[in-house]
Amino acid sequence: MTAAKRLAVFVVLYFAPVFQPIYAQNREMVIPVPQSAYSQAVKVKGGTLVFLSGVGPTDEKGALLAPGDFPGQVRATWENMRRIMAKAGGSLDDIVTMTVYTTERRWGETFTDMRKEVFKTGYPSSAFMEARKLLTPGALLEIQAIAVLYD
Amino acid sequence: METMKMWKLLPVVLILTIAPVGMAQELKKEFIDTQGQESRSAAVKVKGGTMLFLAGHTASQPRPDADLGNFDAQFKAVFEKIANTLAKAGGNLDDIVSMSVFLTDLRYTPQFQKMAKDVFKKNFPAMTFIEVSHLARPQSIMEVQPIAVLP
Repeated sequence: MTAAKRLAVFVVLYFAPVFQPIYAQNREMVIPVPQSAYSQAVKVKGGTLVFLSGVGPTDEKGALLAPGDFPGQVRATWENMRRIMAKAGGSLDDIVTMTVYTTERRWGETFTDMRKEVFKTGYPSSAFMEARKLLTPGALLEIQAIAVLYD
Repeated sequence: METMKMWKLLPVVLILTIAPVGMAQELKKEFIDTQGQESRSAAVKVKGGTMLFLAGHTASQPRPDADLGNFDAQFKAVFEKIANTLAKAGGNLDDIVSMSVFLTDLRYTPQFQKMAKDVFKKNFPAMTFIEVSHLARPQSIMEVQPIAVLP
């Protein structure tokens, strides 16, 4: 081995542990529950966090979309979350946890079915609960989420 | 000659070793789609820093039957308590990036947003407002659960 090669090997080995915490960014879905489209926990390391406000089925002026239509409202909510995530430089797949507030918990099954269509790289952890009232009159759901982005 | 080359590399090696340490500590915060009128941002993007997950804070007093006062009094008491908790962790109210606000009546929301403007000035956290039928104590009309990121 020439001195130059030895030097190259030394440099690589020397930096490996230094950059490891930065490049070994990962996330792991702990106990996925695919039938309900969520994970019991999501383990994340490193990355950039994105905290989203509660997002509901409204247009840009805050007016209600798809009144009385739960699946339509879910789609409108995903669309709004997608837009916010894009502004943050990410996508819905980057979401690691969500709290779903609904006005009627009987929508639970419809909601999890629709969540299956959205998350393709692993399900976020999630809580689903009935709230007495949501901020937008007529809204049937509101989602509060946290996402983690990796460079 | 090879030995000389290796010595020349030494400063580069040192800089590259130290650089990631600095990178990991630097806190970067970005407020996305801030709605000044509603005192909230659609999302807050955060890189670096130390996370602080706070419990739901209420205006509770040691005596369970204590009068917790009207909305304004409870707001002041809640944020004083939150500020205390943050101070114990080495932070302050400006470090809050997200808040879940549980109210027994969503008609208080505009008043909450008005008072929150004085607390946060312009860097508004992500916020979610939810109406619940009961909080832990019958006198409580609000509970605030924040997440903060300290530099």
